[in-house]
Amino acid sequence: MAQQIKTAPENWLSEYGDILYRYALIRVRSEATAEDLVQETLLAGLQAVERFSGKSTVRTWLISILKHKIIDHFRKNRHEITVLNDDETAEDVLAYQFDQQGNWKINLIEWGTPEKSMDNEQFWVAFNECLSRLPQRMADLLLLRAVDGLATEECCELLGFDTDNQLWVTLSRTRVKLRQCLETNWFSKE
Amino acid sequence: MYKCKEIIELTSQNMETSLPWYTRMEMKAHYLMCKTCNRYAQQLQFMNKALGVFEGHVPTENCQLSDDAKQRIAKKMCQVKETAE
Ligand SMILES: [Zn+2]
Repeated sequence: MAQQIKTAPENWLSEYGDILYRYALIRVRSEATAEDLVQETLLAGLQAVERFSGKSTVRTWLISILKHKIIDHFRKNRHEITVLNDDETAEDVLAYQFDQQGNWKINLIEWGTPEKSMDNEQFWVAFNECLSRLPQRMADLLLLRAVDGLATEECCELLGFDTDNQLWVTLSRTRVKLRQCLETNWFSKE
Repeated sequence: MYKCKEIIELTSQNMETSLPWYTRMEMKAHYLMCKTCNRYAQQLQFMNKALGVFEGHVPTENCQLSDDAKQRIAKKMCQVKETAE
């Protein structure tokens, strides 16, 4: 009963507002847009509250609504995406870790059992920090694919990639960058 | 024979699309010989796993909705509730 009262719609804003806001901010990187998305999400939630089955938590349910709103946002604003980051998708991302022949010139630190990190809230602070340091288009791409599971074709369309291959190359470099950041900011300090 | 630089590209691509069996064979053989690429592949797997659950671990300290925004949203929610009732 106490749980039900806590998650009644009038408490959503105070209970989940900040979480929704932070998640939106990670995805869209604009405070104003993130605020709008939180509002749209909560209003959509209110209108659909009858259909909330209670199978998931309210938090999970609201985040799933927010994720749809974020994808809609990308669809609506795709003309605004400018391809500014092409230099960052270029070879120099890799120059740090490979020599001219394509062999490793750095050692990768052993991450041990990284799954253990997932129980540590500080790990997630570092993880989010690393996501926020990725160039915008790289982060958009990685999250649309790996989190939202959007089809490659749709990612190409939303983010302005001409070919699947271009998208794969960028995605690979995004992973290189994210991996380097996690190593520097978490696994080498652990 | 693929270079390490190509292997890590394929490692990422393998998460996106189904590569031909002979390419996957070559990758497997490479991982067996090359500790660094093997480690890289494992770390990418972990990153994917983390991306799959990160929405459950969103940190909120130092990053909250402003009071202004909260008031504005609360007001909107009331309006919607009233029209619904
Ligand atoms: Zn290798």
